[in-house]
Amino acid sequence: MRFEVVKTIYKAACSDSKVVFLTGDLGHAHLDDFRKNLPGQYYNIGIAEQNMIGIAAGLALSGHRVFVYSIAPFVTLRCLEQIKVDVCYQNVGVVVVGVAAGYAYSTCGCTHHAIEDVAAMKALPNMQIYSPSNSLEARLVTEYLIKTSHPAYLRIGKGGELSAEKEYGLEIGKGLVVKPGNDITIFATGTIVNEAVAASNILEQHGVSAEVINIHTIKPLDKELVEKSAQTRDAVFVLEEHNIIGGLGESIARIICECNGNKKPIFKCLGVPDEYNHRAGSHQYMLGCYGLNAEAIARQIVELYKKA
Amino acid sequence: MAKQARMARHMILDMIFEARSSHLGCALSIVDILTALYFGDILKIDPKNPDLEDRDKFILSKGHACVALYATLALKGYFSLEKLKEYGTDGTLIGDHNTRGALPGIETTNGSLGHGLPIGVGMALAAKKAKRSSRVFVLVGDGELQEGSNWEALMFAGFHKLDNLTLIIDNNNLETLGPTDKILSLAGLHDKLESFGWDTESICGHRFAEIIGQLNMSHEKPFALNCHTTKGKGVPFMENDHIWHGKCPTKEEYERAKKELNGGLQ
Repeated sequence: MRFEVVKTIYKAACSDSKVVFLTGDLGHAHLDDFRKNLPGQYYNIGIAEQNMIGIAAGLALSGHRVFVYSIAPFVTLRCLEQIKVDVCYQNVGVVVVGVAAGYAYSTCGCTHHAIEDVAAMKALPNMQIYSPSNSLEARLVTEYLIKTSHPAYLRIGKGGELSAEKEYGLEIGKGLVVKPGNDITIFATGTIVNEAVAASNILEQHGVSAEVINIHTIKPLDKELVEKSAQTRDAVFVLEEHNIIGGLGESIARIICECNGNKKPIFKCLGVPDEYNHRAGSHQYMLGCYGLNAEAIARQIVELYKKA
Repeated sequence: MAKQARMARHMILDMIFEARSSHLGCALSIVDILTALYFGDILKIDPKNPDLEDRDKFILSKGHACVALYATLALKGYFSLEKLKEYGTDGTLIGDHNTRGALPGIETTNGSLGHGLPIGVGMALAAKKAKRSSRVFVLVGDGELQEGSNWEALMFAGFHKLDNLTLIIDNNNLETLGPTDKILSLAGLHDKLESFGWDTESICGHRFAEIIGQLNMSHEKPFALNCHTTKGKGVPFMENDHIWHGKCPTKEEYERAKKELNGGLQ
């Protein structure tokens, strides 16, 4: 996903000198083209995220569209106040690209896990949040962000994600129905959308028809689609690789609670409980710790849905 | 220029007293620096065209001293003196910290310390990229240099030889709760700055000729001008007393201060 994002920004930067890329000393070989061919539009700021965001704001205030790039927790939480004051309060064109959403750096420990980033970014006025599920979506969202001038957080995986089977389009700000179903809706965001689709296939064997909706735009959220699901489905589940506090699930829950419709579906957030995981292991292992793989997701949904 | 500075000090006193706000000592500390910048032909700006692309940029990083900037911008003709009557009223955009867009001539939003220099680095970088001759000036307080983000920016600017960037330090050796050198000392500041790749000079921050002379000199590196200043400058009973960081004057204190600003005359 990150290769696609960098490639897309690079392509745009080749024909538009206003596009600038800043890295906090991360990115390795996939930044080579930028470094070699566009030295005036690429800066390795060093391991100094607060300064990086300030510089990005200064460049944006001078008319540039700036992408800042680092590992998700470093480029969101380390410099949160700079993002608040310099970027969001001033409402300038900086895109924060956070690599390795959730447990993508699974073996690196809590310092490298990003399970609080969405909560922090979501609470910032003017900030938009994008969370593509594969490289194709990452490219499409990046192409959109290049053309706009508002603050944004682009939350991506670290590589090795499943690719889209075929080319498709997406509408920014609108959820994408990736699998139709009639009984329940599973909203999912980021690479874990693939687990949601796999879970829905398992659910079919249990007689549950699950619709899977990919929320690639967490903020602004597709209120209309959430309300529609709440009013037409028996149950709504939200799947995310993030703390259940402050994540997508809470945003969806608020829309459902505030909805004027008569129906109140069963609702459950399937995410990370409010705790740090001190164990290391593969990405799949980490997801498994919290029942966030396809089998466990399907099992939890069946238990809740069939019981009701 | 002395006249402009005295007018600015009166305006600052009036605004803070009327609004029942604070940071009087901090604002009085930087008046002469701002006067030199705006009236000493340092900043290449046009108050009638505040968004001119190749203008010089001034960032007041110690945003709590913003009333000094408001007064200076008004005197420079960016907006009417009348406009400043909005300060301290309900619903005003002219608050206790400078906010971009609130008034013409305000380049950035500040308030939380340690934000101005990194933004200034970004602006200086943008000017270099565009091959513009414009310069960027950032004013910080001495206590503000305790914020680590400044040192990230100092390292970057020094390493990249941003010779179009000037850091002005309002060094009054007082922060909120007392003397900077007793709270967290900046001892050896020049050595520190020079080791980060900056040219430095130390002057009195209340002598216009010295400030202007230094800011007119060109450098091959970023330049830090350490201005020794007096917190509360111009009102003797407020000078060098950290209490005037956060205290609003009473009516008696206000009237005494107005008198002292006029050299004891009514």
